[in-house]
Amino acid sequence: MIGDVMRDKFSRRLASYALVSVLAVASALAAGRTRKPFTPTAPDFRERGPKDAKLQVVEFSDFQCPACRVAEPPLRQIFTVYAGKLHFIFKHYPLRMHEWAKPAAVAAECAGVQGKFWEYHDRLYDKQNEWTNPKADDFLAGYAKELKLDVPAWQACRQDPAASAAYEKDMKDGDDAWVSATPTFFINGRRFVGARQLAELGTLYMDRELKK
Amino acid sequence: MKPRAIITLAARLLVGAVLVYAGASKAAAPAEEFALVIGAYDVVPSSVALPVAGLLPWIELLVGWALLLGVEARAASASAGVMTGIFLAAIGSVLVRGIPIPNCGCFGDAMHFTPAHAFLFDSLLTALCWTVFAGKTDPFSLDGWAQRGK
Repeated sequence: MIGDVMRDKFSRRLASYALVSVLAVASALAAGRTRKPFTPTAPDFRERGPKDAKLQVVEFSDFQCPACRVAEPPLRQIFTVYAGKLHFIFKHYPLRMHEWAKPAAVAAECAGVQGKFWEYHDRLYDKQNEWTNPKADDFLAGYAKELKLDVPAWQACRQDPAASAAYEKDMKDGDDAWVSATPTFFINGRRFVGARQLAELGTLYMDRELKK
Repeated sequence: MKPRAIITLAARLLVGAVLVYAGASKAAAPAEEFALVIGAYDVVPSSVALPVAGLLPWIELLVGWALLLGVEARAASASAGVMTGIFLAAIGSVLVRGIPIPNCGCFGDAMHFTPAHAFLFDSLLTALCWTVFAGKTDPFSLDGWAQRGK
């Protein structure tokens, strides 16, 4: 029956067009299903929450950026509200115009090596107005001491090129993802820029994603 | 098959596969992501970036599959040639104006070509489109199957 219908040129043309259309839709759907949310790699100490959580949040941030500090309260609230449902990855994106952002990123990275990334991270944002000046190095060392890090090991880590290579890799990831401002959040692959977008639109989006 | 026909077939499959991959990569992501890329090129008004971002991946998919299957292969290769020509013009304008873009954005977040590499790649694709357009219908295409109908 189908063989009879498909014998004339017109039917064959129509069938060809239909096949092209079906395959176009199918390939878009398949790509959508196999596409993983934007989850660039990061050391374990810069991740929090279960890796198989339904919500994947990636933040590109700069310790010297005031807008990133402003994003901290809503972000900490999100950690509380979505505890257990969210896998969070912190990515360094020190902006070129921020003189002390790179040393701070390295300092936090080296605190992470000793298992205190998040404590150091919080300290840097909470005291951002204190250390963002030419005496930054003294303050960064002071925070390491306050958090009871092994300071000689922490200082040695800061001199290690591997520490700066970590933020350079993050910056490459950020460039690849067209990050142009901090903080930029990717929630299950969708971009939200700044504290306001995170708090207002980001949480709505997270609720929607959780209901899926 | 004659060597010329083999080259035409290979060109058709290659351009088709690239377009399907590029279209699917972008169609799978939120259109806002590709709109951001289009906006960075600064070649179309920002108000049309989002509609273009929503439409272009689907055109790539349809033209790509038409080439892969050999459906209206000449028209599809002409459409693909026009598209790659437009991409070349956009990338060229970014290079000339010195606009710093991190990558071409051609494959969504699946692959990252620098603008210079993308320019070379699109030049090659445009040449391949011409090869398909100038070639004859090959027996492995659905065009050939349709022509053999009553």
